[in-house]
Amino acid sequence: MIRLSYWHLIWKNNRGFAIFSMGFITLLQFLILYLISTADTSSIITAIIEQLPEKLRIFLNDSFFNTLSFQGAAAFGFNHPLVLALLAINAINIPLHHITREMESGTLELLLAHPFKRHSFIISLWVSGCLILFTIILAALIGSLSAIAIFHHLSQEIITKMMQISFNQWLLFILIMSYTMIITTFGEKGNKTGNISAVLTLIFYLLHFLSQLWESIAFIKPFNIFTYYEPQKLMFNHGNFLTDISILSSLILVCLFISLWQFGRRDIS
Amino acid sequence: MRDSQIIYTEQLTKYYGRIAGVKEISFEVNRGEIFGFLGPNGAGKTTTIRLLLDLLRPTSGKIVIFGKDVKSNSFEIRQKCGYLPGNFSAYGNLTGKEFLNLLADLRKVPRYIEPGLLDRFGLANGDLKRKIKHLSHGTLQKLGIIQAFFHRPELLILDEPTTGLDPLMQEEFYDLLHKYQNMGCTTFFSSHNLSEVEKVCHRLAIIRKGEIVAIESIEDMKKKLYRKLELTLRKPLDRFELPGARIIKKQGLKYEFIVTGRKDTLLKSLADLPLEDFVFPRPDLEEVFMNYYRDQRDD
Repeated sequence: MIRLSYWHLIWKNNRGFAIFSMGFITLLQFLILYLISTADTSSIITAIIEQLPEKLRIFLNDSFFNTLSFQGAAAFGFNHPLVLALLAINAINIPLHHITREMESGTLELLLAHPFKRHSFIISLWVSGCLILFTIILAALIGSLSAIAIFHHLSQEIITKMMQISFNQWLLFILIMSYTMIITTFGEKGNKTGNISAVLTLIFYLLHFLSQLWESIAFIKPFNIFTYYEPQKLMFNHGNFLTDISILSSLILVCLFISLWQFGRRDIS
Repeated sequence: MRDSQIIYTEQLTKYYGRIAGVKEISFEVNRGEIFGFLGPNGAGKTTTIRLLLDLLRPTSGKIVIFGKDVKSNSFEIRQKCGYLPGNFSAYGNLTGKEFLNLLADLRKVPRYIEPGLLDRFGLANGDLKRKIKHLSHGTLQKLGIIQAFFHRPELLILDEPTTGLDPLMQEEFYDLLHKYQNMGCTTFFSSHNLSEVEKVCHRLAIIRKGEIVAIESIEDMKKKLYRKLELTLRKPLDRFELPGARIIKKQGLKYEFIVTGRKDTLLKSLADLPLEDFVFPRPDLEEVFMNYYRDQRDD
């Protein structure tokens, strides 16, 4: 069902940005941990945070106070906006490029005129996308673990936690890729579908922060995909790993089935 | 539907919203035949091809290829088909060789291209090692032809296949088409180039505004043609008309007519005229086509 030759094509088309993302994220993880271990940042940041209004301090609790520790910094590396942005670009670009843009260029028409079933195409694309995201996140994990091993002490506990965070992150971005796939299977124009997916992801991200700030919109938390990605909480045993991955996995499967259904019935022109 | 029919369509209709791509088209293509599908741009040729390949889903109607319904057997059908899309494009990041390997893998056939096929189009290994984005339009089209032919398909579906080929390569292409026909291959040949359809096809369908207006053999089509008459008078006439003929062009004493009535009556009328010269030029398919459209417009 999954065509290896097609995986090779997808990797060739996406490897440039994927390798850049791998390098950048790995380096960033390494640098964050290096800075935390070589500079006394905690006293500086604590002094700044003490000057902040209480509400803002509550908001920063997860992302900043935990960062002051070595473990917190390791988790923060996985939640850094640049890391999330690079992974989101990869997750959105893979289905966008191989469905909508190829439909525009005519290569999808040629491909599907060959004995290549539509559901095989979608599954091959989805699996390939998952593998590309996996390699990027794996590189980030290796970068973090290497830094921990060099500047701190690498314990079994921290390896497990880091792997949980990586897996949680992987599922989040597979979900972003999967709903982008739905949008592209319904969409016509490449840029438009890409923009819709990017804006949707950005809205989720912003609402995630806003719902932490304002109690009045806290009820939207369960409906936000970023609620189920909690690296800092996982690192400090406050998270619920099984619930997070169950919800993300279910959403991914729903998105995949909708994509398969829609792509199977749509016109390729 | 007969066993000898490779493609059979019945009342095939495709609407894009409210706009009809094709309307109730019915035709059949016989085994070993090169079937021309002729029409101007936007007539519905590409829509028909995409329907045949199950890329588009018909609004209504039936398509049977190799005796099987396309909707439920498209995978098996596409295994036996070679397809060259109009405006052929391929993955720019791959080399020609990688691209052909990808398609061979998708077909689960050996990664082997008959050297004769490459030689015919002057494609050396060097060309296949270059990235597709660096190939010229003509070379890209040759690559498109090779990908359609290399796995020896039983049915070829070709959409404007000679676009971008120079006349020498076009001749090579026609020769290749006849070679495959002799091997039993059936070809659905879409084109707006009437002379090449006349040259390679056995039968043709003319499509206009999504509707098939004629399906005939090339010979029958020519026989049905309105003959042209070109004549030059020795001196001007006050009122010059011919029974069974319609003036389409006048330049001084030179006249061009389309013959619409009986030729014997016309010849008798010509005998009474002060004629300098006259000729019934042999019609080509272009004229059939234009006359056919003119007729449709007049209706």
